[in-house]
Amino acid sequence: MLSWSSTEAGATADLAAIAEGAGDGGLPFGAELVAFADAVGGLDDEVLVFARERLRAAAGEAFLIDAAAVLANFEMMTRVADGTGARFPAETAAHRAALDDRLDIGRFTSAR
Amino acid sequence: MGAPRADLLAVHVASLQHVAAPGAAFTAAQRLRIASVACDAYLTMDPSPPWVRPFGEAALDVAYRLGRHAGTITQQWYEQIITEGMHPLEWVEVVGIVVATVPVVAFARAAGLPLPVLPPPAPGAPHGRVADELAPATLNWVPVAAPADTTASVVQALSAVPDEWDNLWQLAAAQYMSDAQMVDPLWNRGTLSRPQMELAAGRISRIRECFF
Repeated sequence: MLSWSSTEAGATADLAAIAEGAGDGGLPFGAELVAFADAVGGLDDEVLVFARERLRAAAGEAFLIDAAAVLANFEMMTRVADGTGARFPAETAAHRAALDDRLDIGRFTSAR
Repeated sequence: MGAPRADLLAVHVASLQHVAAPGAAFTAAQRLRIASVACDAYLTMDPSPPWVRPFGEAALDVAYRLGRHAGTITQQWYEQIITEGMHPLEWVEVVGIVVATVPVVAFARAAGLPLPVLPPPAPGAPHGRVADELAPATLNWVPVAAPADTTASVVQALSAVPDEWDNLWQLAAAQYMSDAQMVDPLWNRGTLSRPQMELAAGRISRIRECFF
């Protein structure tokens, strides 16, 4: 989805930011966003405070709030998918193969 | 810090009130216990391993694993829990309760706001309201509202229990975007661009090792 929407918006997506948490995805405030996502996904509150303030300083309060909301949404949607065994139709799965390989999705327990 | 958007705050308050009301199969008190377990699992610094069932009570064990180790849940484990006696629609309701609660907590923690307190339980018995007709799905383990597999798997996932489905998509519209907004790849709230939204979404999904 990152690749698709970046193309539509005229930016070039760099999936390393998603796959490894490296770089900025070719996007403004991308590095701060990735660090914030990593901190939200982790358990270290000091790291979260640092990442939150770094994003706030770079992009502003409203941006921070909406970023937190997007992350909360995907804390929700990942649980919907994992809790109900959500799958892609076969024809869609075939189209996703290269992306899945880049993101190393095949090794996830949820992919079994 | 500044206040979050009013629509976002309202939908989060409504979601916790939804949790604290009787559901299709569970009382409000049971739903709050499930929600509390999921919150604790999400926040704990010292979680049990995924294969441990800390409560010996199916609904709570599912809530715990979904709250903390969602990416480790397999179809085999789902079928084991169902074989032990949990009804598939109870499983769907537990998922609905967890996803009504965890994002509210996750948002507050991420934004540096006070963590929410669960409301007191509303009186009343479970209402038994489920989809008029159910169908097995090929795109999900759980049964869904008939006809199955005519929409995306995440869209039909909670459709067997309509109140949980409604709450989920109200949350999604405020936290992320509505279905109508999603069809326009350039739509945004004036803060994050769509690629920035997808970067954040993709990275947290990768961290959670969510196949989907």
